[in-house]
Amino acid sequence: MKTKSIFIILFLLGAFIWVMPSYSLNFGNILKEVEKSTKPPEKSQPKPEPEKTQQPQQTQQTTNQNGGGGLIGLGNSLGIFDKKTSKLLNQGVNTLKALQPIGYEEEKAIGGRLAAEVFNRYGGAYNDPNLLEYVNLVGQAVADVSSRPDIDYHFAILNTEYPNAFATPGGYVFVSIGLLKMIDNEAQLAGVLAHEVAHIARKHALQTLERSRSLQGISSLTLTVMDKDPGLFDKLIDEVSNVLFTKGLDKNLEFEADKYGREFAYRTGYYPGALGRFIQKLGASKKNQGSIFSSTHPTSGERYRLLNRSSSRYKKASLYPILGNRFKVAMKR
Amino acid sequence: MQRLVYSLVFLLVGIGFSSPVAAETWYVKKSATRLQAQAKARSKVLAKLNKGTPVDVLGKSGKFFKVSAGGEKGWIFRFKLTKKAPSGGGGDGDVLGALGGQQQIAARESAYGSSIRGLSPVSEKHALNKGISPASIEAVKEMERYKVNDEALDKFLEEGRLGAYGD
Repeated sequence: MKTKSIFIILFLLGAFIWVMPSYSLNFGNILKEVEKSTKPPEKSQPKPEPEKTQQPQQTQQTTNQNGGGGLIGLGNSLGIFDKKTSKLLNQGVNTLKALQPIGYEEEKAIGGRLAAEVFNRYGGAYNDPNLLEYVNLVGQAVADVSSRPDIDYHFAILNTEYPNAFATPGGYVFVSIGLLKMIDNEAQLAGVLAHEVAHIARKHALQTLERSRSLQGISSLTLTVMDKDPGLFDKLIDEVSNVLFTKGLDKNLEFEADKYGREFAYRTGYYPGALGRFIQKLGASKKNQGSIFSSTHPTSGERYRLLNRSSSRYKKASLYPILGNRFKVAMKR
Repeated sequence: MQRLVYSLVFLLVGIGFSSPVAAETWYVKKSATRLQAQAKARSKVLAKLNKGTPVDVLGKSGKFFKVSAGGEKGWIFRFKLTKKAPSGGGGDGDVLGALGGQQQIAARESAYGSSIRGLSPVSEKHALNKGISPASIEAVKEMERYKVNDEALDKFLEEGRLGAYGD
């Protein structure tokens, strides 16, 4: 009996010593679930922003396009690499250069230009200062608890009856009066705006652009480069316009924006199921059929199903407010 | 002997629960984040922390984390903090280890906040050249000029029992 007891004591002591180092509060787990369920598409590790020296970049760009820059060019001229090898090496270098992240200043220039496009295409600004203030309050509240609260967000209402919502890089978010009229409560509005904030916070349009061929051979995209090369800026704007207004973002990025959007609305304190409910409502609506919103987004059924699949984290938030009355008052003012 | 075993088990469990926990370092996501005296949105504001400030998380109560920041202890609404050190240009990018790096980034971000305002001349020129109406360009400028007042936002959250005011 004695030996057995000593073994038990030793075992307990051993187990205690083994467990002790990991016995600390790990708050990282709180967000693990959402991080897991919203695993973004593969993206290269962001590199430190390069020094902004515009002159050499242009030279570099030209030499690379000619296939004669740097060590590869030297190797080529000395006959170390044959033409095929140096072409392949240059392609590799150019691809790597295209992966340089776009800075905030440049992001805002692209986003601001596209924001003007949004107003131009979709009815201009809806003139209701009280409603605009309300939309900005809800939008700012969700942006403040997003994964990127440290940039300025701007929210506007578009004067079109078509249900639309957009986000352009750098913090510009749009919702149409037609979409607002379809919304039932503040939690749904928060979900919609948070979905758009998520596109900006996760830099979805920029990711798409950084992977595109338009930026191949450019070591860093600066405002000076954009200004001096209107053809390049044209290409960038055309490419993002095409994605945002015609083709739509990759389906997985839309699903990711749904999940992050729901998360941001939940963090703000809204009922997290509201976004899913609105997606369902939008899917069933005749107004939505044939709209730009439906052609640039995955089907409502798919979106709702995917949101539902990862909703276990929010079970305790089923009684969070939807604020239906406050929304109705804001719409009637 | 059995009593001795039970006592030891009890003692070990007791030690486990009462021993001080290792603090984890988190970072402030946005400047002017409130460090408060209690885990309540209406409690006294002890300090306003800059973006990137590292804080040691000591405990949790509801939606608040108990933290120690620069020697001062207080409570912060948990969604104002991130495990990742904020990077330049906003967002959840690079994880920087050194405190010096944090301060540099925080300073750079504040500079961004004040300097990158308004539609870039490059964007405006390009929009005009492409036939975008001056009214649409003005609408973007108006959108950028609109700023949500911090007090109004706080009141809005309190009335809706949202954010730090939620249950």
